[in-house]
Amino acid sequence: MPTDPDRLVLDGNALAGLLASIFGGAEMTAAARGCGSCGQRHPLGEHRLYRGAGLVLRCPGCGDVALTVVADEARGVREVRFAGRWSVAASVSSRGE
Amino acid sequence: MATLPVARITWREATVAQVRDETPHARTLILDVPDWPGHDAGQHLDVRLTAEDGYQAERSYSIASAPEDDHVALTIERIDDGEVSPYLAGDVVVGDRFEVRGPIGGHFTWRAADGGPLLLIGGGSGLVPLMSMLRHRAADPAGGAADARLLLSAREWDAVLYRDELGRLAGGAAAPPSITYTLTRGTPPGWTGWSRRVDAEMLEAVGPPPATDPIIFVCGPTPFVESVADALVGLGHAADAIHTERFGPTGG
Repeated sequence: MPTDPDRLVLDGNALAGLLASIFGGAEMTAAARGCGSCGQRHPLGEHRLYRGAGLVLRCPGCGDVALTVVADEARGVREVRFAGRWSVAASVSSRGE
Repeated sequence: MATLPVARITWREATVAQVRDETPHARTLILDVPDWPGHDAGQHLDVRLTAEDGYQAERSYSIASAPEDDHVALTIERIDDGEVSPYLAGDVVVGDRFEVRGPIGGHFTWRAADGGPLLLIGGGSGLVPLMSMLRHRAADPAGGAADARLLLSAREWDAVLYRDELGRLAGGAAAPPSITYTLTRGTPPGWTGWSRRVDAEMLEAVGPPPATDPIIFVCGPTPFVESVADALVGLGHAADAIHTERFGPTGG
């Protein structure tokens, strides 16, 4: 409901398509991210997603910002900023294309 | 596992082959998607609608069908003041076409080979990806051996998606899943099941004990997922065995 801001919080699973388009088709929601702030490791799918003028993905452990995506309409690009250490498997193991 | 490198994900044209009303507020679309690469239970796809003036809207939906099914099925709940769902869950007719890309997502997925025990906890239409898992389990003889339990929270009996099919699954001959309902806003006459929000006591009664190392999937509105995940951890379930997927008002 609009009165409860918590309801607007989603998780990194909702970014699967966007992340795949940024990372050349790779499935990223299962990738673990080591947080530079609290040191915990969590899959991107378990990170918290906040949506406003842009997208902000935060560590579920400490709230540190892991990823921001802002659309720059004038230039027709997305500005993407990452933080932390992201572990991505080198081999293909998914049926996702 | 996350994967690199793979082909760029592409938009494909899907055609609505069949439409099925599930509840007064939710509808299943059976889609023909040429060259669909297959999916894992729990994955979703993005839908892109383009208006005549070129305006585009994108939404992400969980896939309801099993990987073994011939078609890709989505079940969409109508949000009355939404932008996309009144069309997909209301006005759409057989033969309509729109773009889809996917499958996407790899964190909230289960393959029969992953085994069990499997504990699925759904709130409202959070049942959709869990249904794909149950259908996959039923279609795969190896997965059928895994202990599987579904705890489904719904507002009322008439809001339960796939009610008849869940009944058939639960009554199946070979290792049927155990299915438990809790209704939070009213029960039909003679109801003997749970009738409150999911809490620790319910999870302890319904779920396999933490010592059996169940694989757990929780999907529903964000407050539901948060409270269920907290209760599961409180009961002693390993945090990294709990896979969560939150959905909320995404503009409908």
